[in-house]
Parts: sequence; structure tokens; C-alpha cells
Amino acid sequence: MKEPVYEVFARKTRDQPLHHIGFLNAMGDDLARVYAWKTYDEQNWFEMCVVRRTALLPVNQTESHYADRVPEQTGKVVHAVGAASYGGSEVSGEEVPE
Amino acid sequence: MTPPAVAAPVSSAAELAPAVREALGSLILTLADNKRILGIRYSDWMLGAPTIEAGIAASSMAQDEWGHGRLTYSLLSEFGSDPAHLEHERSPGEYHSMQALDEAFTSWTEFTAASLLLDTALSLQYGVLLDSRYVPVHNRVQKLLDEESYHFQHAAAWTRRLAAAPEVRGAFEAALARYLPAALRWFGPPGGEQSGVLEAAGVVHAGPEALRAHYLAQIGPVLAEAGLAETAGIRLGADDFWEYTPELQWEGWRDSTRRAGGDGPNEETIRRVRGDKNRALLLD
Repeated sequence: MKEPVYEVFARKTRDQPLHHIGFLNAMGDDLARVYAWKTYDEQNWFEMCVVRRTALLPVNQTESHYADRVPEQTGKVVHAVGAASYGGSEVSGEEVPE
Repeated sequence: MTPPAVAAPVSSAAELAPAVREALGSLILTLADNKRILGIRYSDWMLGAPTIEAGIAASSMAQDEWGHGRLTYSLLSEFGSDPAHLEHERSPGEYHSMQALDEAFTSWTEFTAASLLLDTALSLQYGVLLDSRYVPVHNRVQKLLDEESYHFQHAAAWTRRLAAAPEVRGAFEAALARYLPAALRWFGPPGGEQSGVLEAAGVVHAGPEALRAHYLAQIGPVLAEAGLAETAGIRLGADDFWEYTPELQWEGWRDSTRRAGGDGPNEETIRRVRGDKNRALLLD
């Protein structure tokens, strides 16, 4: 089972913009939320959000290794899963220990 | 009809009647001990969880439980107990933790089942203190419940995952079957003495039967969505109330400890809980 990469964004106060603070792997949106909150809890965040890396739409790097074409949707380009220069990639979920 | 009298808030345990004070002290000790032991059980899975993120979550949840335990033990200084003694000097048989926590979780399926079923039971029992007459518990309980909401989300998400994994679904069902009656029983028998005293005094706003109903309403939809409700023995009955169909067993039940026997957590667990290894470094 593949575990997609999620990007994590947060801001400390209401008047700040969201900042990218890290990434994680999770099997779905529900666990991504929990993992983000538990992993990046070094601040008392006002707001935290997660988004799948492949939900990011490239603006200028549409022809580079940072971008992937979506075969099912002609012309659609999304951020490549494993091409962020700061790390992170889709991983295969490990076997759940019995 | 005359509305029932609302008991006045109290800001210290000394203002409570002796029987109420004793019952509330016992409840608080039970909650604190369960938090402490559950934290140890979670901490065993900081390393060895299915993913790094799951291990970090287990680590964070262990920290949460220990923090909750520390806050809860500290309340007991008002009840004639020394929190330092309670935390560092008791033997296994003196702990009021659930029998279901006496042994370590041997698998991630047990971790998840316990998190969904046992941790949720604890949170609901804390929740009935939120508007207690005994005011000192209020702010501690709210913070605790905020953190516990993430434990529940984590457990619910992993429940869906394990139910969908044929390799471990059977083991997960077995863990649920073991912990669910234990959690339901832990709220106490209908008409239990301790809960009756606390409810009558306005210290808690719900007794065992109401708590069981709230509990089933919280975990029922999660198990049903995962296709696990029927094998766990619960169903959505008439009037949209969730029911547990097997009969709960009360043989040997002791209200004061909320246990029906057993010797308590094993000695190794308690050595870790007490911090025996570094006792010489324990400062006043």
C-alpha cells in the first residue's frame, strides 16, 4: 500500500500567513491531520493545514522533474510526488505487526 | 413542578461531605492510575509502530497520558494523599488501573483496539467532571479532552485501516472482543455505590448506564463503518441507541478499584512507572 506525501502548513497567529513547516506520509487525510498535529507540535499553532503534495498545481515548473502529467486528465499537471528538494516521497506502507 | 436543587460549586475537597470526598478521591486515583499505565503501554510502541509517523503519534500520546496522569495525581493532595507517594512508592496491587491494561500490548492491533476502546472510556469518564461541583477539575479536564480528541481520530483511522487488511483483521477483531466488555464494565454496575454517591452530590452529571450509552454512541459508528460492529457484539437498536448485546459479567467486581481481581500491572511495568531505575536522582 502506498502512503502519499502530505505537505504541512501552519501559522502562529491570526495575522500571519501559512508557512510550509514540513511533510509526512499518511495513508489518508484523517491520519495526515493527526500525524501533522502530533509531529509538528513544537509551537502553539493558531492554524495548521495539510494538503497532498499531488494536489499542488505547479505554476512555473510545469516541464521540470517537479511536475507530473496526470494521464487520466489531459493537460493536467500536478506536483511530482517525490521531487521536492527538501525531501519526502511516497512510501510503501510497512506490514502491520500482528 | 419544582426544579431540582442545584448543588453549590465547591472550590476545595474539604467542602465535600466525607462520603462524597472519599468517592471522588477514589475516582480521581482510578483515572490517574489508568492514565499512567496507558502511557506506559503507548510508550512501548514509540519504536516498532507500522510507520515513523505512527511511532511519533504513539510517543506523543504516551506523553499526553503521562501529563494527564501527573495533573490528575496532583489533585489528590486535597484528598489526604501525597502525590509523590502515589507516583513513586506503591506496589502493583495498589494500582487502580484497568485489568485490561495489566499486560503490555503485544501487537499494533491491540494498541489500536485499546486506544479506541479503553482510552475513549477514560475520556468519557473525565468528561462527566467537566461541569462538576468540584471546580478544581474543570480547567484540567478541558485541556485533557482537547488532546484526547486526536487520540480518538488516530484510533478511528487505524481501525478503518486494520479492518481493511485481511492479514490482521482477525487479530484486530480478537483484540476488540477482549477490550470492549472490559471497557463497558469499567464504568461500573448499574446502581453502583460510588457512582451513586457522586451523582447524587452533583459531582458527576452521569452514572454508569448513561456513560455506557454515550460510549457506545461514540465507538459504534466507527466500528460499524469498518464492518466490525456485529462481531464486536454491538448494534444500532430501536430509537437509534447503540446496544451491546452480550451480558456484562460482574463477578468479583470491586467498586473501589473498578477491577474484578488480578494482581495489578506486572512488577516490571510498575518499576518503570515508579522510576525505580533512577530513584537516586529523584529530587524533592
